[in-house]
Amino acid sequence: MTMAKKYWLIAMLCLGVLLTCGTAWAMTDPCAGCHKDMSKVLPKEHPTVAAGGVAQCLACHNKGKEGAAEQNPFSTKLHTVHLSKKIDCVACHNAESGKSFGLKGDVVDWGAVKPEDVKLMQEKMNSWASSGFTDNLHARAGVDCAGCHGKKAPVSDDTVENARCLECHGPVAKLAERSANKEFPKRNPHASHYGSDIACTTCHKGHDASVVMCADCHKLWKMEIPGAAK
Amino acid sequence: MSKMNRRTMLKTMAMSAAAVGGGLALNMTAPGTAEAEIKKLPAKWDETWDVIVVGSGFAGLAAAAEAAGAGAKVVILEKMPVYGGNSIINGGEYNSWDDELHLRQKLGLGDDSAEVHRKDTIKGGDFYGSPELVKILTDNATPALNWMIDDGGLKLREVVNRTGGHSNYRTHTCVEGVGRGYTEALRKIAEKRGAKLVLNTSITWIWRQNAEADSPVLGVEVKRGKKVLNLRATRALVLASGGFSRDVAMRQIYNPSLTADYNSTNHPGATGETVRYAQAVGAEAIHMAFIQLYPYAEPETGLLDAPAVYPFRGPGFGIVYVNKQGKRFVNEMERRDVVSRAEMATGMKPTFSIFNEKMILRMGTKEEVEAGLARGRFVKADSIAELATKLGVPPENLEETVKKHNQYMKDGHDPEFNRSFTKVMFPLEEGPFYGIAQWPAIHHTMGGVRINKEAQVLDIWSKPIPRFYAAGEITGGIHGTNRLGGNATPDATVFGRIAGTNAAKEKPLA
Repeated sequence: MTMAKKYWLIAMLCLGVLLTCGTAWAMTDPCAGCHKDMSKVLPKEHPTVAAGGVAQCLACHNKGKEGAAEQNPFSTKLHTVHLSKKIDCVACHNAESGKSFGLKGDVVDWGAVKPEDVKLMQEKMNSWASSGFTDNLHARAGVDCAGCHGKKAPVSDDTVENARCLECHGPVAKLAERSANKEFPKRNPHASHYGSDIACTTCHKGHDASVVMCADCHKLWKMEIPGAAK
Repeated sequence: MSKMNRRTMLKTMAMSAAAVGGGLALNMTAPGTAEAEIKKLPAKWDETWDVIVVGSGFAGLAAAAEAAGAGAKVVILEKMPVYGGNSIINGGEYNSWDDELHLRQKLGLGDDSAEVHRKDTIKGGDFYGSPELVKILTDNATPALNWMIDDGGLKLREVVNRTGGHSNYRTHTCVEGVGRGYTEALRKIAEKRGAKLVLNTSITWIWRQNAEADSPVLGVEVKRGKKVLNLRATRALVLASGGFSRDVAMRQIYNPSLTADYNSTNHPGATGETVRYAQAVGAEAIHMAFIQLYPYAEPETGLLDAPAVYPFRGPGFGIVYVNKQGKRFVNEMERRDVVSRAEMATGMKPTFSIFNEKMILRMGTKEEVEAGLARGRFVKADSIAELATKLGVPPENLEETVKKHNQYMKDGHDPEFNRSFTKVMFPLEEGPFYGIAQWPAIHHTMGGVRINKEAQVLDIWSKPIPRFYAAGEITGGIHGTNRLGGNATPDATVFGRIAGTNAAKEKPLA
């Protein structure tokens, strides 16, 4: 069976399930539409789960709801797998234009989003899943959107403040120690003449290639930065 | 003016524009748009401030500090992701005939006065600079320096230099040895007084009510991320966005020889669009072709790093400049434009500054020189011949040059380049000796919008444009053909303070 045919079949099955079981049921268990037998996609050692949707997963996999700066391997895994199969956000998420962004079958709400925000999130999530930029480095480390952006779904032009980065990567002195140049002690991007309150995002771009700002003037310095353009 | 009135006026203007054949526009339009197109005033304002300051260097911070101090609600807009522009990376030099610590007197470096500073500045710019504005700079440099010490915690090094074009020792240096010492002091004062600094916000238009001569500036259009916003300034707009040294196309309009091949000491944001927005609403721009090269930048990159300030500080203590043949090529006491031209005329890149151990503490700090040595910026040797070998210049030539210069110093007369000597200069007799490579890089644009003594922006009829101020490198007409080193910081600080004070005094428009 070709991939296209397989997706077509899955889509038809989903539609069938939706039609058969009614919208209310599908809202509470978006998984079941595609995963008739959850045990097939779960690790062997995972306890058996009955139908009931992703909300019931959150009883154990309970990170992310409060938007803490932390790793969330469950969310990361779920997102990367579904993104790789080009599953649309709204398969699992509720996105009520201008009102809320949540999870089907649960009461979580990550803020009022507009359709363009959802589109942007989808774009950025794809970058997060595969770009090689800072976002993708976080994905590989099991950090999802909330890890950087917090409880509210990010919208256009959102930025991440230093304090947030430093919750995991701080304090600045520790970063300066890591980037210290033994030969030339003053050549340290985390302890530069711009001081320690320079925005992390000056060089470390979330969804774009990171750039060493120092090189704008210090052209002879050979400095590397994670998440740079390839 | 009510919305209705504004609309009516726009409409009337549009009609009169049509009547005269499409030539008249509210503002000169942006490139690529129709000649008679009117850029319509925003229907609503996204933010309202009393005073909007564009740029966060010395001038912008000083203006914001004074305006906020007078009770105005002030925002400072900075287009870059870091604050400070060129100011925060400048050489850290500040000319002032005096200071509250009286360092020059304490160090036994002779006399000075605001009057001599004024005369030097005017002469150093070949009498093109406005005497009225220069007097304001030199009279207020000292109070502004003391203000930063008292209110901003600025700390000065215990050195005072006599630098190119100055006839006295008046060039002060902050402890940091770069402009950050002053920007941090000014930022501290501005923020303490309630001014708000917003980064990553570039202006894309200046709003002026209409084309009438007495029509006020109302605010700015800005780009912040992907958003375009309109910001209202109920009292005044202050431009303090710096020069255009890194704007190759713009500098070549005025001096086609300043191609992209030239290095620049400036940060990448030093481009000239703000001057254009000011011109588009009627501001006069003058002296645009006077563009300064810094003679002592790092030859390969154009960087003005800490070592690159030593050749500038050194002349008053006996530093010698030589070419690749180990021969002098200019009077070391000369201005930046003269030294830069002389360097390029050698036809051999780079040139070098030669000094000795004794001069270091008079010019800067031991630690700074050690750090520079460690990364190969300075070269050190026990003898002149050894230094010459390390620098790659013929040893016999350099020995001969130094010997002759030492003799001139003893005689108090330089028959070759007519250098003037003072009692505090050191001959290059005792080692260790030091050398550093240097080459000109584009550094400062003396031209810009024309202002009066109240820091008001003037239109082409020499009338102040209401509620429109400017200070610092974006202004033109103060320094003339050539700015003397160490005059930019007092210029920006002094006129920034004047602009901010006057901006806050404007009666708020409804």
